[in-house]
Amino acid sequence: MRQVKKLKIVLSTLREKERYVKFKIISQEPIIYSDLEDAILNTFLDFYGEQGFSSLSFWIMKDLYDEENQTLVVRCNHKSVSQVIAGLGLISRLGDSRVIFKILKVSGSIKGLKPA
Amino acid sequence: MKFYDLHVYSSFANGQPTLEQLAQTAKELDYHGICYVVYFEGKEREKIVETQIKEVSRKIGIEILLGLKARNVKELNFLAGLRRDFDLLLVKGGNLDLNRAAVETPEVDILAHPELGRLDSGFNHVLAKLAAKNNVAIEMNFREILTSSKRSRSLILAHMRENVKLAKKYHVPIVLCSGAISNWELRDPQVIIFMANQLGLELKEAKECISTIPENIINRARERRDEKFIMPGVRVVK
Repeated sequence: MRQVKKLKIVLSTLREKERYVKFKIISQEPIIYSDLEDAILNTFLDFYGEQGFSSLSFWIMKDLYDEENQTLVVRCNHKSVSQVIAGLGLISRLGDSRVIFKILKVSGSIKGLKPA
Repeated sequence: MKFYDLHVYSSFANGQPTLEQLAQTAKELDYHGICYVVYFEGKEREKIVETQIKEVSRKIGIEILLGLKARNVKELNFLAGLRRDFDLLLVKGGNLDLNRAAVETPEVDILAHPELGRLDSGFNHVLAKLAAKNNVAIEMNFREILTSSKRSRSLILAHMRENVKLAKKYHVPIVLCSGAISNWELRDPQVIIFMANQLGLELKEAKECISTIPENIINRARERRDEKFIMPGVRVVK
């Protein structure tokens, strides 16, 4: 069996500091995940451009999407939290449904996002 | 921290949803109070709106103020004379003459979107000095950013950045508002704070612009409606 070579893990001091932003989507109708992902990426690319978007280190945590409560977690670096939250506010529609993003929590770890 | 949105409309003005829907969404987004803005259409209509505001405010449990918006200099002078009948006086910015008249009138609380529909920022150092002297706040309207795109959005952002710079230099109060005409245009206070942060305000300043400064404006408005109030700095004590 062919083994895939993995990169050696970067030193913790050289690693980027991450922030996780948890938010709730208040919508007229239940939303579809693919619509949400498209809307977020397109809005960010439109607003910040390709170069600006690359500096956010933005990642959507698909496995942390809660369909029932309509909550999602996104990851970015610690310097771009304000850009990410401001950008989320520019999304007003998902498909035909109008939406509002309510920021629930910003944390340095996924564990920190869980309710106490 | 108490957050306030001092510029929202509803079906009584131009927007679609009812005041109740607006208040409900604002409560869900952790706002402590909103200012429901209407255009002046006679004193009777104003009384109807005020009764509805009291009813909804009690039902939903959120502070709602009545704001009137002047669209021209004549209307502004008329409303400045009726200042005790409502809570806040806003002026629809965008016109240079109206922007100037607004910052020259101490009765005005907020000059809304001075850069609306303009190719410049609609606000300069002369207006900034006057606004600071008369304590007229300048509004950063989130709806303008939300409803525009591409070139027009970049222009609006540039003008807002310029206005923020001037306001900071001359100590003009800034208020951050959603300018929502529908409950779906209301935004989380944090979103508005971080957008203002992108426009040149420090995080602490941005928070003040949506909490402390609006609270001061509301307190001043309450004081103005008090029977003992005569003019700023003068009130009946006995």
